[in-house]
Amino acid sequence: MATGITNINNMAPELPLQFSEDLLSTPMFNLIHSFGADLHYADAHIGKTTRMSRYERLSTNGGQLDGSGIDPAPEVVVRSDIDATMEIYAKTVVINEQVTLYENDKVLTKFTSLLGQWMREKEDLLMRDLYSSSVSYINAVGGGNGDQPSNISRADVNNIERILLGNDARTMLESVEATRMIGTSPTRDAFIALASTDVSSDLQNVSGVLLKNNYPNQDGLRPEEYCSISRFRFFVSSKGAKIPGASLLGNTVYTIPMFGVEAAAKIEQNNYSAILGYRPPYVVSSVAQNSQLYAKFAIARAITNQNWISGLNVTTLA
Amino acid sequence: MAFTILDGGSFVSDAGSKDIILPSSADYFKFTNVTQMAASGSTCVAGEWFGPKFLTGQTAANDGIRWRKAGSHAILIDTFATSTATNGFTYITESPVVEAQAANAITAITAASPAVFSQTNTYAAGDIIRIYGTTGMLQYGGIDIQISTVTGSGYTAIGLRAAGLTAGTAGFTRRISRYNAVDPEYMYVTEITKGSTTLVRTSIDPTLYYVVGMKVRFSVPSSFGMIQLDGLTGTITALSSADYTMTVDIDSSAFTTFAFPLTTLSPTARLFATLAPAGASTQYNPNTMVQTGYNFTLQPFHTGQFTPFMRLGGGGAGNATGAENDVINWLAYKLES
Repeated sequence: MATGITNINNMAPELPLQFSEDLLSTPMFNLIHSFGADLHYADAHIGKTTRMSRYERLSTNGGQLDGSGIDPAPEVVVRSDIDATMEIYAKTVVINEQVTLYENDKVLTKFTSLLGQWMREKEDLLMRDLYSSSVSYINAVGGGNGDQPSNISRADVNNIERILLGNDARTMLESVEATRMIGTSPTRDAFIALASTDVSSDLQNVSGVLLKNNYPNQDGLRPEEYCSISRFRFFVSSKGAKIPGASLLGNTVYTIPMFGVEAAAKIEQNNYSAILGYRPPYVVSSVAQNSQLYAKFAIARAITNQNWISGLNVTTLA
Repeated sequence: MAFTILDGGSFVSDAGSKDIILPSSADYFKFTNVTQMAASGSTCVAGEWFGPKFLTGQTAANDGIRWRKAGSHAILIDTFATSTATNGFTYITESPVVEAQAANAITAITAASPAVFSQTNTYAAGDIIRIYGTTGMLQYGGIDIQISTVTGSGYTAIGLRAAGLTAGTAGFTRRISRYNAVDPEYMYVTEITKGSTTLVRTSIDPTLYYVVGMKVRFSVPSSFGMIQLDGLTGTITALSSADYTMTVDIDSSAFTTFAFPLTTLSPTARLFATLAPAGASTQYNPNTMVQTGYNFTLQPFHTGQFTPFMRLGGGGAGNATGAENDVINWLAYKLES
C-alpha cells in the first residue's frame, strides 16, 4: 500500500485537457471595398456580359435664338456604354469521415461558416482589385518624406476633392450634425476613401484630421471607419491595396481610391445567388469516406464613371 | 490515387514567355519540347518543377530542372539557374501580380526616345517590368514599361521617351505580369502629340487592353504641362502595337505642350499622367458595316490575370519555351494527400 498525499502526480485526470466553452475568433479583415459600389443585377439566359449605359449631358454652349427663324444646330446625343463580364468563383473543403467522427467540434458547421466568410472576403478583394487596376491615381507629393509618391498630406487630399467636385461627383455619406458634446466637430457630407491599415498612422498626422471618436455622433458608423479629412471619410483594411517596391525609393506604394456615388458597380447574377452546398460521402467517395462543402458566387464589376472616382498613391512616413 | 494529372496541353512557342493558367493549382509540372527533342546540340528539351508541398525541395522562382541535349542522343541535366542563367518556371498564385524575383539592377538608361536600358537580365521581348529606385532619371521611378529588342545586356523601351531628360545611371526593375488584376486597366501616358486628333503614347502596348471605339479618360497633373487634357474623355479611333500609341478624337491643337517634369523637380512634381477605361461608344455603320463597341473580349471589365498560373520563361532555345515555332507539350500534376 502506497502512503502519502494523493495529488495530480499520482492521480492524473482521466482526460488531459478540456474543451473551452467558446471557440476563439477566426480572423477576418475589414470589408471596405464593396459597400460604396452600386448594386446591379444581371438576368439569366441572355449572355454573361452586362451593359450599363449613361447618356452624357448636352452642351450648354450657344442656344440663343436670334429672331431670324434659323433653328439652332441639333446636337447628337452621346451615350457611354460600360460593360462588365460575369465571373464565377468557388471554394471547396473536402472532409474525411474520421475528422467528423473524432473532432470535438462540429466541424461541418464550422467549415460552412468559414466558407461563408470566404465568400464575403473574396468579394471584397475582387472589388479592391477593380479599384487598384482600372482607376487613375495621382502621386501624393505634399508629405515631405522625400519619396515619390510621398506620405499623405492635406494638400493631396484637397487636390482629389478638387478633381471630384470639378467633375460634378456627388458625395456618398451624409453630414454628421454638430452636437453639444465636448471635443466633437460636425462632419460634412463626404466622399469615401479606402486605405490600407498601414497608412493609419499617417492619417492621424494629416492637418485637419478628425478621428472617428471626435465625430459628434457615433450612431450608424461602420467599425472600419477611421477618420475624416477634408471632404473624405477614410475606411481602412489590412487588405487595402498596395504595390510592393514601386516608389521612387523602392518602398511600398499604397493606392487609396476616393470616390462618390455611382463611380463603381457590383453586379449580381439572377438565378445564381451565393450558394453554400454539401455533397455527402456516398457522392464524393467510392467508399463513402469523404464529404465535401463548397461555396460559389457570381460577380461582375465595373468602374461606371471615371469622372467620379480618383485617388492617391502614397508611401508611409516611417 | 496519390498523384493526379490535372491538366495538360500543347502550344507553339513564339520564343517569349508563356503563361499557363492552373485553376486547381499544381504540385508538380513538367514540359517536353518535342521539336528540340529531335534536334542535336545543347538545347533544352524538357523541364520539371516541384511546388511548395515539396518543402525544402521546392523549385525556386524562375528555376527548375532542365533537361538539355548533349549531342544527338545524350541528355545532360542541370537547372535553369546555371552559370548561364536562363528562364525556367515561375509559379504565381495571387494578384496583383509582382513576380517573386530578386530586384535587378540597371546600370544605365539613355536619354533618348525610345530609351535604351543597360542591364544584365533574363527578360524576353514583350515582358513588362516596373522601374524603381532610379538615379538620374528620377521622373520614371515607379512606372511600368514594356520592353523589346532584348539581349542579355539590355533592351529598348518603345514607350519611354527620354530625349532631353537627364540620363539614368542606376535603378532597379522587377518583372510584373502582362495583365493587371482587372482589365481594361489604367495606363501610363509618356508622350502626346497635339493635333485635330490627339496621338497618345503609352508605356505599354495599348492593344493588349484597348480596341477602337473604347473611351478613355485622361488624368494629367499640372506638372506635365497639358492641363487642358486633364479630365477629358475621348474615343479611340486608332491603335498601334508597333509604336505603343492610340489616337483619340480630342482636338488638342491649342493645348499647351505635354512634357515629363524634369529630374530637378523630383520628388515634388506630381506624377504620373495616366488614362483609364471609360466605357465605349457603341456604334454600327450600316453603310460601311463597321461596328465599334461590340468587342466582348477586351472591352468589358473582367479579370485580367487569372491566378494561379505557371509562367514558362522565354528567351530562346535554352529556356523553357524554347525557340520560335517549337512545339511544347506540358502536364500539370496534383498530389491528393
